[in-house]
Amino acid sequence: MASRVLVRCVRSLARPSARLCAGNVTLRAAAAPLPLTQRSFSLLSCNQRTRQTEQTRVPGSLVQVCRQYGDLPPLTLEMIQDRVMYVLKLYDKINPEKLQVASHFMKDLGLDSLDQVEIIMAMEDEFGFEIPDAEAEKLMTPEEIVQYIADKKDVYE
Amino acid sequence: MANPLRGEVVKLYKNLLYLGREYPKGVNYFRDRLKTAFMKHRDETDPEKIKKLIARGEFVMKELEALYYLRKYRALKKRYYEGEE
Repeated sequence: MASRVLVRCVRSLARPSARLCAGNVTLRAAAAPLPLTQRSFSLLSCNQRTRQTEQTRVPGSLVQVCRQYGDLPPLTLEMIQDRVMYVLKLYDKINPEKLQVASHFMKDLGLDSLDQVEIIMAMEDEFGFEIPDAEAEKLMTPEEIVQYIADKKDVYE
Repeated sequence: MANPLRGEVVKLYKNLLYLGREYPKGVNYFRDRLKTAFMKHRDETDPEKIKKLIARGEFVMKELEALYYLRKYRALKKRYYEGEE
């Protein structure tokens, strides 16, 4: 778009000496008839150079912009653990002071199996994937949840 | 613990919780009621009775879905025919 505007400006400048129509400016400049004045020719050639640099630059910037969509920082074990603990702290039936990474939901925190189902649902919401019931039954401590999510998301030390 | 119906009960609880997210009175109200309803039968061991209770839970799920459909169509009708009734 910018290059097109530039071409139009140059064309209006060079019109008295060189009759350029809607064709490719660079081609026209290369095949320009001899009677062109020196000044307009130099103007055209320098314009040609800027156009070329612009053309080479534009696709690169587009690719970069596209790449940044939906890009998340890679998960690490600490990040998963922080998020798991954060979700657990916000859960109203857990006392945040008692919560440890290794504490058992039922034995240490006094929850029942239905609460554990709710915790697993909260984890599904937080990490955006579904945990099957058979696997969910076995996840009884925060560190087991962290390990399970790390396995599913291919995160290793 | 090792009851074969346990998985079904958990699944029912999960599905009901998902449905309860749009409950008119709020999630917390629904969750508390659901929890007490499940806890009332926590000591049930007879498989026949458990199956009956699961069937009742599935009936409640259908009722909830019907409630949401009704609410949706009421809202639609209200917007299309406002002030004509």
